[in-house]
Amino acid sequence: MAEKYPINIWVNEERYERLKNVGLADMCEEMLAGLKVIRVFANDEQKDKILKVFPTAKFDASTTKSIELLPREVKDKIFDKVVENKNIEILEEFLKEY
Amino acid sequence: MAEIGHGGREIKERILDPVEAQKKIKGLPQVPIRSQLANEVIDIAYGWFTPLEGFMGKADADAVCKKMELSDGTVWSIPILFDMNNAEISDYGIKAGNSVLLTYQDNPMAIFEVEEIWDYDMDAMCQNVYGTADEKHPGVARTKRYKEKFLGGKVTLVNRPQINPPFEPYFIPPLEMRKRFKKRGWEAIVVHQTRNVPHTGHEWLMKGAWAQAYGGLPIEKPLVGVLVNAIIGEKRKGDYIDEAIILTQDELRKSGYFGDHNHLTSLTFWDMRYAGPKEAVFHACIRINLGLTHHMYGRDHAGVGDYYDPYEAHRLLQGIPKDKLNIVPVYSMNWLYCPHCGEITSEGLCNHKEEWQKFSGTLIRSIVMDGVKPPRLIFRPEVFDLVMECAEKFGFGSPFVTDEYLAKRTPVFSIPPLSA
Repeated sequence: MAEKYPINIWVNEERYERLKNVGLADMCEEMLAGLKVIRVFANDEQKDKILKVFPTAKFDASTTKSIELLPREVKDKIFDKVVENKNIEILEEFLKEY
Repeated sequence: MAEIGHGGREIKERILDPVEAQKKIKGLPQVPIRSQLANEVIDIAYGWFTPLEGFMGKADADAVCKKMELSDGTVWSIPILFDMNNAEISDYGIKAGNSVLLTYQDNPMAIFEVEEIWDYDMDAMCQNVYGTADEKHPGVARTKRYKEKFLGGKVTLVNRPQINPPFEPYFIPPLEMRKRFKKRGWEAIVVHQTRNVPHTGHEWLMKGAWAQAYGGLPIEKPLVGVLVNAIIGEKRKGDYIDEAIILTQDELRKSGYFGDHNHLTSLTFWDMRYAGPKEAVFHACIRINLGLTHHMYGRDHAGVGDYYDPYEAHRLLQGIPKDKLNIVPVYSMNWLYCPHCGEITSEGLCNHKEEWQKFSGTLIRSIVMDGVKPPRLIFRPEVFDLVMECAEKFGFGSPFVTDEYLAKRTPVFSIPPLSA
């Protein structure tokens, strides 16, 4: 099976309010002793593109196997897409802009 | 009583008093140096680099590359080099046997007695030290940026660095550090090497290492300390700012997660080479000089990318006899959050493997960047609040290094004008 690499969108109060308002609060998972998170998954090709397009991003290969350190505004845009589509399968559409 | 450092050599500070310094620098050609060399001048002069008394000549550098030791057989793993190009050597009129005055921030810093001018095959040096000559490796890139000639010889500080706020309390050179350990009555001291703001995984690494270092010592009074030794050197964009690193490490003590009886925070000036196993050995050498008895080594110590096997440093250290490297390595397993246990636990202890939630400094940085305050089990609230305070006070609004921070920050140390 192809590898999937999560992008963790950590859900602060503002993001949680928006999710509640559109009935998507259940989309949050809970991690690390109570942190709310939405996990959007990238495939190999998408991971490589993200790391290339956003040079501050890092793939944490040794510990969490997740894509981290995307700029806040990029995470906001991914979050907006999730809310707009009411689905976490949004990366392909999101990356078309880059 | 003499303080004996790495290689069985006495730690002696190489620092002139100001009156003598004024006399000795008269007429010397002035050579400005960059921050990496200024850091290393401080390390040499205060004894962090004992037994080195200056920048390496060819025999020492060659032995370091080929045998991981100095020419006298002392274990040493990273070349300490002063580079110059031919034009500069000619312009300054430098010849073996001359002395020059090294200046930093336009002020006199140290006398450099040039004993030797030499060159080296840099690909061979990289291959020997880093195990690769790939310029994507940051240590290789740094090494290949050296100019074509090296100058070897003794260095003596003529002007003590002025450590700027908030770093002053954390600049504790080897001789002073050893006094502090004696005053505290610590018989075993384990060092935590860091370039990070601590999350609870780091905190438990320290607590685990503290327990390991206690071994069979009596517990009636505190005999074991943890020394946090933060590496302060060149910053990369996106790193935590230095002020946040040093102050939050100390905050763990101030907020009671440790105490004065078992915790001290300090810094070492050094530009990381990311040499993995070789850097692990180098860290041991400087920590022996600081008076440490134990050194923590986690997974992939001082590594970068996938250049090194995660446990290569451990294996290299295991092969060096104690009489050659007089410090006990404490190998640390990762700490993680287990929702079943409801606590931070070690991967060597907990067996709820399917439920483990691992976290890293990178992950925590990501959480902070998203504007989320992590739970106290993961990141201490006092640490989080201080990170945010540092962002406002020192980081121009960000706890992470930005272009503005690099351009406008107050340097960690300044070299003041020399006054007798």
